[in-house]
Amino acid sequence: MKAKYLFPYSSRYLGIGLILVHIPIKLLWDHFYPNGYDQHISSSGSTGFLFSAPHLFFIGTTLMVLVGLFLVAFSRERVEDEQIIQLRLDSLRWAIYLNYAILLFSLIFTYGNDSNHILMLNIWLPLLFFILRFQWVIYRLNRSARSNDSDTRL
Amino acid sequence: MKNNLHVERAIKKLTQAELADKVGVSRQTINSIESNKYIPSTLLSLKIARVFGKSVEEIFQLEKKDL
Repeated sequence: MKAKYLFPYSSRYLGIGLILVHIPIKLLWDHFYPNGYDQHISSSGSTGFLFSAPHLFFIGTTLMVLVGLFLVAFSRERVEDEQIIQLRLDSLRWAIYLNYAILLFSLIFTYGNDSNHILMLNIWLPLLFFILRFQWVIYRLNRSARSNDSDTRL
Repeated sequence: MKNNLHVERAIKKLTQAELADKVGVSRQTINSIESNKYIPSTLLSLKIARVFGKSVEEIFQLEKKDL
């Protein structure tokens, strides 16, 4: 069984790099322009406009995080065998279930701007849930294999 | 589904890593199969059986709960 539509193993490092690079850029922007981004979002066209500086910044940072998370989530493992493919699918299903359960719950109990923020979080939250869950099951798999190490020597 | 992969490996004096290399999976996957945590695909079962020169059913057997 071959895994399709996955990035090469090394692209996870590029992904981690993009996420890390985004953090100081975002912090610097927030330092120089406190509320700039929120004003832009809430102004709904009165002061902000398409491809204005805050909008371009938003596109840039959001793309960095999204592409970064995407690369980390969907890069191959060192040995991408059929068990990993199954764990990947299980984790993806788990992440989507969890994400939509939380999303439904939060949308019921929030309104207005809070709802908008929650919807924006959903740009990257499913990917984050998937990465955490997938890495956790791989960690457990490796730990279980290590604990049976004596068996490998026969 | 149960299997006697561990025994077959011992007869052939193969480590999990060596068997994993021969069939193109990770050592963790062989370990999961041996500890009945993962059921291999038909393709992988056939590849494993070929390494030991046996039929699939000599290595993997159905249990009552599978029926």
